[in-house]
Amino acid sequence: MATISTPNGFTLDNSGKRVVVDPVTRIEGHMRCEVNVDDDNVIRNAVSTGTMWRGLEVILKGRDPRDAWAFTQRICGVCTGTHALTSVRAVEDALKIDIPENANIIRNIMQLTLQTHDHLVHFYHLHALDWVNPVSALKADPVATSELQKKVSPHHPKSSPGYFRDVQNRLKKFVESGQLGPFKNGYWSNPAYLLPPEANLMAVTHYLEALDFQTHIMRIRTIFGGKDPHPNWLVGGVPSVINIEGPGASTSINMERLNMVRSIINQSIEFVENVYIPDLLAVAQFYKGWLYGGGLSSKNVLSYGDIPDRANDYSAESLLQPRGAIINGNLKEVFPVDLRDPNEIQEFVPHSWYAYADEKKGLHPWDGVTEPNFKLGPNLVGTRTNIKEIDESAKYSWIKAPRWKGHAMEVGPLARYVIGYAKGDKEITEQLTLVLKTLDVPVSALFSTLGRTAARGLECQWAARKMSYFLDKLIANVKAGDTATANTASWDPSTWPAEVKGVGFTEAPRGALGHWIKIKNGKIENYQCVVPTTWNGSPRDNEGNIGAFEAALLNTKVERAEEPVEILRTLHSFDPCLACSTHVMSEDGRELAEVTVR
Amino acid sequence: MVIATDFDPPPPTAPKPNGNGNGFQPAIYVYEFPVRIWHFVNAFAIAALLVSGYFIGSPPPTLSGEASDHFLMGYIRFTHFAAGYILIIGMAARTYWAFVGNKHALEIFAPPILTAKFWDNTWHEFKRYVFLEKEGRKYVCHNPIAVLTMHFMFLWGITFMIFTGLALYGEGTGMGTWQHTLFTSWIIPIFGNSQNLHTFHHLAAWSILIFVMIHVYGAVRDELLGHQSIFSTIVSGYRTFKSPGKPEDMDRA
Amino acid sequence: MDETFYDVLRRQGVSRRSFMKFCSLTAAALGLGPQLAPTLAHALETKPRIPVLWLHGLECTCCSEAFIRSAHPLASDVILSMLSLDYDDTIMASAGHQAEAIVEEIVTKHKGNYILAVEGNPPLNEDGMYCIIGGKPFVEQLKYAASNAKAVISWGSCASWGCVQAAKPNPTQAVPVHKVIHDKPIIRVPGCPPIPEVMTAVITYILTFERIPELDRQGRPKMFYSQRIHDKCYRRPHFDAGQFVEAWDDENARKGYCLYKMGCKGPTTYNSCSTTRWNGGVSFPIQAGHGCIGCSEDGFWDNGSFYDRLTNIKQFGVEENADVIGATAAGVVGAAIAAHAAVSAIKNARSKGDNE
Repeated sequence: MATISTPNGFTLDNSGKRVVVDPVTRIEGHMRCEVNVDDDNVIRNAVSTGTMWRGLEVILKGRDPRDAWAFTQRICGVCTGTHALTSVRAVEDALKIDIPENANIIRNIMQLTLQTHDHLVHFYHLHALDWVNPVSALKADPVATSELQKKVSPHHPKSSPGYFRDVQNRLKKFVESGQLGPFKNGYWSNPAYLLPPEANLMAVTHYLEALDFQTHIMRIRTIFGGKDPHPNWLVGGVPSVINIEGPGASTSINMERLNMVRSIINQSIEFVENVYIPDLLAVAQFYKGWLYGGGLSSKNVLSYGDIPDRANDYSAESLLQPRGAIINGNLKEVFPVDLRDPNEIQEFVPHSWYAYADEKKGLHPWDGVTEPNFKLGPNLVGTRTNIKEIDESAKYSWIKAPRWKGHAMEVGPLARYVIGYAKGDKEITEQLTLVLKTLDVPVSALFSTLGRTAARGLECQWAARKMSYFLDKLIANVKAGDTATANTASWDPSTWPAEVKGVGFTEAPRGALGHWIKIKNGKIENYQCVVPTTWNGSPRDNEGNIGAFEAALLNTKVERAEEPVEILRTLHSFDPCLACSTHVMSEDGRELAEVTVR
Repeated sequence: MVIATDFDPPPPTAPKPNGNGNGFQPAIYVYEFPVRIWHFVNAFAIAALLVSGYFIGSPPPTLSGEASDHFLMGYIRFTHFAAGYILIIGMAARTYWAFVGNKHALEIFAPPILTAKFWDNTWHEFKRYVFLEKEGRKYVCHNPIAVLTMHFMFLWGITFMIFTGLALYGEGTGMGTWQHTLFTSWIIPIFGNSQNLHTFHHLAAWSILIFVMIHVYGAVRDELLGHQSIFSTIVSGYRTFKSPGKPEDMDRA
Repeated sequence: MDETFYDVLRRQGVSRRSFMKFCSLTAAALGLGPQLAPTLAHALETKPRIPVLWLHGLECTCCSEAFIRSAHPLASDVILSMLSLDYDDTIMASAGHQAEAIVEEIVTKHKGNYILAVEGNPPLNEDGMYCIIGGKPFVEQLKYAASNAKAVISWGSCASWGCVQAAKPNPTQAVPVHKVIHDKPIIRVPGCPPIPEVMTAVITYILTFERIPELDRQGRPKMFYSQRIHDKCYRRPHFDAGQFVEAWDDENARKGYCLYKMGCKGPTTYNSCSTTRWNGGVSFPIQAGHGCIGCSEDGFWDNGSFYDRLTNIKQFGVEENADVIGATAAGVVGAAIAAHAAVSAIKNARSKGDNE
């Protein structure tokens, strides 16, 4: 192969120099990326490989469905809880359990807390070093940094020259020690870094501030779920009880706990609005010419929607995060999405390390089969246990290729914002308009690595504000006399029908997440997860369509082929979560039980 | 060594030796006083342990009122621990007595499994229990099936319960206590975790209950249908015989 | 020049005088006697921050997430001032070859003087290729990184016991770290994840006292893992009184009664959740209304439902709890006894009849 065109409109050319990045760092889990660059250092072919598989779904078989949240929660400790929430929703869907209003509100607060925390930590601690150069910060003038800070964020109190000088001194000592820790072997002399020293110092300062501040955010989930990461959930509601003034109130959700939640929400909104958003805009100003990385975002995007305003109503009208699919870049039409339809969501494996009886076909998750099949192609360079260059013409990833009506889709904050914008969502449109105006860029600039990073920041702000909305709602509900937090009518498995199936979904910080469950005689018969990184990190399908990671890397110009800053930048903008891309297999290669789709 | 106790009743008036006409084996003193008292103390402890243990696993319904008004689980657990210690001390004393008491005291600790006669008797008694043999044979002490049940179900079962029980108790008394050092510290790793240890302690308790059922039934049945006294023996210590002939284990006895 | 512990303290505003006082106290705590304080001071003044390699196998990154949530000390202080976190693929700036080069550099240049921290565990099936780092099985990277380590910290239940991917049927054959590393001291800090402040406390203990903490037989620091959650639970009085939550969100739940009947695993779980609590001491699972699921215990995934008090016996191919098995067996034996008694009575009556 020299040059081929993919059905979804990309051109691949693997004749140039092969560059391998393994491990891809600052992500959750393990991933490998290989690209071919041409003589002008432009990426002409991209191959993304999920390099881990844990088999959680097979472990779930035969277990108590009420326990499934705990297992699936351990799929990912970064987007901790979102799998648990998806799981309890799937079980409730199967058993037709309605949860109390308060439980819905508390779950929403917990999910929004995650989005706020996850986006903030992603921006500063997983993504910022792709744009920000901490070594350059040593050259900054603290006075000028202070002025920059006051200009971009007049309300942030930590802005004095002395403050920045202290941070700089601390950084200087650190760098001079010769022990650079996490900053060791970074690409600090690469011309791809465009920020002036003052902006670098400001951003590094906030890297540390954010690292300290984020410890507070998740305490909201500690209050409702007991611990974080991995708080506790409950099929039928939430485990925490509301007791505002009765005996024993001091150990439940009471006024003190609500005040603490309120205080953390307020601090979070302040931090996001005074630090995160200004930093995002300040950094973007310097990089707004770097508009690579759009990939699928301008073509095909998907969102299931989340944050039901009304308990037990998962229709698009009730969901505060938008639901729908856009294909072929037509923003004028947002298609409805049906997770139960066997022809909509399907997974393919021709390039994944799994075997199907007929690999030409895709399977809906309720019919899902996965049997690991670790095979490498004939053009592999290296050996089975020492891969130098992978052969993408054969199987090359532990991630399956999910497709919506045959289309490879991008999911995540940018997908949600594009869909919300296309649907005319008021809050999303306002936020986007303000950002585009501030940066003085057209709407098309959204479809880029930077656009993805910006959408995440805006969503963080939206989520922080919505926490406040739901806390008000919780208090109003309690004031009206409703203190129920769990529906236990169907708690006992002996009350369940012999065979049921259900589907649950959320919008994880990284994108659309669905769990499909089948319950037989009180036990899990089959469990399937299709997760955001399965969508974004998908390998090719049998038509040759490439997934979102691969598409986004194409045509990017890199400064130095041996230093993968630009590759990391674009991959990180998706916030990859590789541990999530686990799949089910039958224990001995038998096909899993047939499931009829209703 | 024989330790005489004041509680041993005087033997019944010396019977005539065999050949006095009816061929009955005269009464034999089998269960010395310490064995008899241990038997009932132990039975009481096991009953208390089974009941209290069941309620530790599945507590009774909640009591209303202040926590300080009640100590129900505390009392249940106290009962369990106290009965456990009584059982352990009793078992220790009984083990000691196996070596210093009369020959019968050793029987359940060391069944004569190396003798052909023992297995012949076992086979005979087995056939009797499955109704293939009409009459049982006579024994001074236990019949061989009873010996095997006593040894394997009771003795090993109780040993397992004592070791696991002390290991669980040591979890509460904590590191540095003798229970923890001698039991908990190495027994939990064998079971993997504390919960598995609880589970197997609980399961083995049921096997003790099953032993009790078999033991009591066997005693009742042999009292009614067998050739020797059972109930009166565990009370008085003397075995009397209802039919003529020499008991099978007379030589050992 | 490498920054020493003394430099760090000075940079953080600690005076020479306080530093010497710290050294005397530490020397005393270590049982070295006051005359050794100057030696200790000298060691601390000239000792660079200890390099740490933090590897990730099959895991979910919850341990790293927990670590950065530590309230005291803050993760930023640990990373910038206490140790040198030279490799941690979750936060490190470099990637690919440049990242791999760091492992090699530390292993060769800091022989016997770096700590290996492991999050997650190696799978052994499929030649280890269920977890690939740099094109090779993770287990190779793990063994290599451990080869010259001073000590190994097994973070969380994955590295300590195996955790969720090792739950039955363990399709990838994931094994805890001590199954592949045999020649190094291993400190196990279990939990899914461990308590954030426990993680940083273990690190700071090692740096402060310059020794690994006292471990129990299963390799866990005694200071955090020697007592059960139940032993120090604030709801314990309700347990002793026999007051339990009988159903979710019932009146008893609102009064904060004991969660024992809801399957709480506090009585069988060794951890310090009920004392240290979580995320800066805000709460812990039982306080928030859900029972403990026993996440710091070996094999906690395979003990039956989290909501059952009596757990399933799975060792003999049956899947029932001890009471069901025991009661069934007792029932069968009881029925057999009754039948046997009936047959005995009939036979006896008949034989008596024959005799007459």
